[in-house]
Amino acid sequence: MTIHRSPDRVDAVVIGAGASGAAAAKVLTENGLRVVALEKGPWRTKESFGGDELANVNRYNLWPDPILNPRTSRTSADAEAEVDLFCPVPQMVGGGTVHWQGWLPRFTPNDFRLASIAGGLPGTSLVDWPISYAELEPYYDRVEWAFGVSGQAGANRYEGPRTRGYPCPPMPQSRYAQKFHEGCEKLGWNSFPTPQAALSRPFNGRPATVVSAFAQQHGDPSGTRSSALNVFIPDAVATGRYELRPESYVRELVLDERGRIKAAVYEDADGVVHRQEADVFLLACGAVETARLMLMSTSGRFPNGLANSNDLVGRNVTFHEYSASVATFDDPIHAWAGGGYVSASSFEFYEHDANRDFVSGGHIAAAGVGIPLPINWGLPGKPTWGAEAKKVDREYFNHSMAVAMVLHDMPQHENRVDLDDTVRDAWGLPVARITLTPHENDLAQGRFLVDRCGEILEAAGGNDITKVYADRVTGNCSHQHGTARMGEDPESSVTDRNCRVHEVANLYVVDGSPFPTATGANPTLTIMANAWRVAELVVAAGARR
Amino acid sequence: MSETSAPATFFDEHQRATVEAAMARIIPTDDTPGAREAGTVDFVDRYLSGIGYIYARPDGNGFERLEGRQADAWQQRVDLARSKYVAGIEELERLCHEEYRSNFVSLEESQQDAMLRRIERAGSPEAERAWKDTPAIAYGGPVEPALQQTNAEADLDFFNLLVTHTRQGFLSDPVYGGNRDQVGWQVIGFPGPANLAEVHSGRYSTLDYFAENHTHHSLEGNR
Repeated sequence: MTIHRSPDRVDAVVIGAGASGAAAAKVLTENGLRVVALEKGPWRTKESFGGDELANVNRYNLWPDPILNPRTSRTSADAEAEVDLFCPVPQMVGGGTVHWQGWLPRFTPNDFRLASIAGGLPGTSLVDWPISYAELEPYYDRVEWAFGVSGQAGANRYEGPRTRGYPCPPMPQSRYAQKFHEGCEKLGWNSFPTPQAALSRPFNGRPATVVSAFAQQHGDPSGTRSSALNVFIPDAVATGRYELRPESYVRELVLDERGRIKAAVYEDADGVVHRQEADVFLLACGAVETARLMLMSTSGRFPNGLANSNDLVGRNVTFHEYSASVATFDDPIHAWAGGGYVSASSFEFYEHDANRDFVSGGHIAAAGVGIPLPINWGLPGKPTWGAEAKKVDREYFNHSMAVAMVLHDMPQHENRVDLDDTVRDAWGLPVARITLTPHENDLAQGRFLVDRCGEILEAAGGNDITKVYADRVTGNCSHQHGTARMGEDPESSVTDRNCRVHEVANLYVVDGSPFPTATGANPTLTIMANAWRVAELVVAAGARR
Repeated sequence: MSETSAPATFFDEHQRATVEAAMARIIPTDDTPGAREAGTVDFVDRYLSGIGYIYARPDGNGFERLEGRQADAWQQRVDLARSKYVAGIEELERLCHEEYRSNFVSLEESQQDAMLRRIERAGSPEAERAWKDTPAIAYGGPVEPALQQTNAEADLDFFNLLVTHTRQGFLSDPVYGGNRDQVGWQVIGFPGPANLAEVHSGRYSTLDYFAENHTHHSLEGNR
């Protein structure tokens, strides 16, 4: 039997306790609001994490279990959708920041006006953002300093103006970062230490980050990395105004008679259903799950999903794509040290260049090939088993590295997240279905960037260069954006410039969903900065109520 | 089950010998140890025994006890893998008898390789196409684009599952029954932590394997 409970009403409900939800909760609670966070997954502590690649990468210790939390994907509306772990992100307190290595570049000023700069692109829904870099810059600064980012201001020649430098100097130079810099220098290309969600020295009462090999895709047993779990959640808890309810799966948002959100309906770990009321609601589930929750929340007023009168919820979804060139070197690179992602970067091919035959560009950086071990990752043209495969493993492990790119995939109206007709999750709810075909611009840009990655390796003295071109978008970055794009015009966007949903006055979206474009940079710093901005606007709007 | 009892197993004697021999061709023994010395068959035998060895406790002290939906999901996954092994071994043996009138384990190594190649190519039209195009697509078997962050075991046929489990048993932490005495790590040159506890405690650092100069090359002119 289902039992309904109605906990006490609060000022704000934040749905999701990952990067954006934790950042927003910190700001709301520190400004005096009483906040309940409803997080679908568990609240794990550092003691529950370990250096175990089998558990963390192969056995869904951190990734969503596809039996319990499947998604489906297909390449067009006519195709059959198949169950697929498309663009997974850990579903737990801290979200993706639990197992990331946290590359945190800022977007550039031109990212916010790419449509104007590039003049549009047929077949895409490319638009300028309704906000500018200048508006976001103070929030980049706040996040970098609250969170603890290690980097070198001014080292990225293409970065926009900044209030001040980073709170910590760059992380120590790995050998793969060194090779990357050397290659770029030979080519005359700018390179810089990748700004990282880690502490190169003690900061703000926290010790320096432990440089383990079990880092990217592994939780942090030392509790020393900069993550939502280690920083923003404790900040919010410290206010005494933050009640974080893990294993609380929101199934629906229900409306009141005025068309505002009245309550979030959620199921707890014991199957008890609760209705949590609040003045204001913030969606922070990640762009896929936020769209899914909106589409599951149907009503007489919104028969096609919450705030979806214009059929834009879930559309224009972008995912980036990670691909790379790989090479071997005569001297040892140890690209597993630091987990393979204590890196160096270049924005040399990030900005749009009218002389190229495609729009925009992307972030290029050094990386390891395993995570850290070569259990799972491989290369085209290399055997998977037998004596030759063993030889490749031995030759590559200490002597290979990747130079990788973040593809700036273009938004398209037909690329979307909606609800699968047949597949349901372990709670009986319809799962997110991804419909996606890359634009030819994505493929051309990807080829160009992977070629540049190969040139860096070659200039650095790399041998046996393998180029892995991205011939489709698979969601392998775990980056997701665009499903509730922000804009000035309610006809062509889901939220306004403040990330408030046009059609529902007390509903905000603070994850990557409002991003009109993906940009070519890792999005989480900007997601957190924007969540901070929106949370301040929510506080200000509340003060006027 | 108590911590001191003999590790649980799944295979009968014949299945175990067949899998061990096949794994020995997937990561062969040469001047360095291979799957046989690493005990990868112990790794997969334990995995298929049930859901008692899915997640080692992160400090290396025993295994997590799974409950609820998670336990159900893992039971489903292990059941599927068991059925693939049982049917896959049977089919491999049928083909070996058809071709050589012999069990797989009694074949010459080159004959074993030929039989494994045959089930690899029969297992998937994608693998067949990929074989014509390039020898393989990715380490670990699944014919997927390279550089995926996850590995969905449920999608793999018997041969690719066997390859994946051999690699897992060779390179994952010894707590899971394979990678005996860290021989897999020694073969590829991973100095590794002594055990899971060393990582869990935060003692394990890899800074010794960074560049000698910790200042980024790109910043040296600015100093």
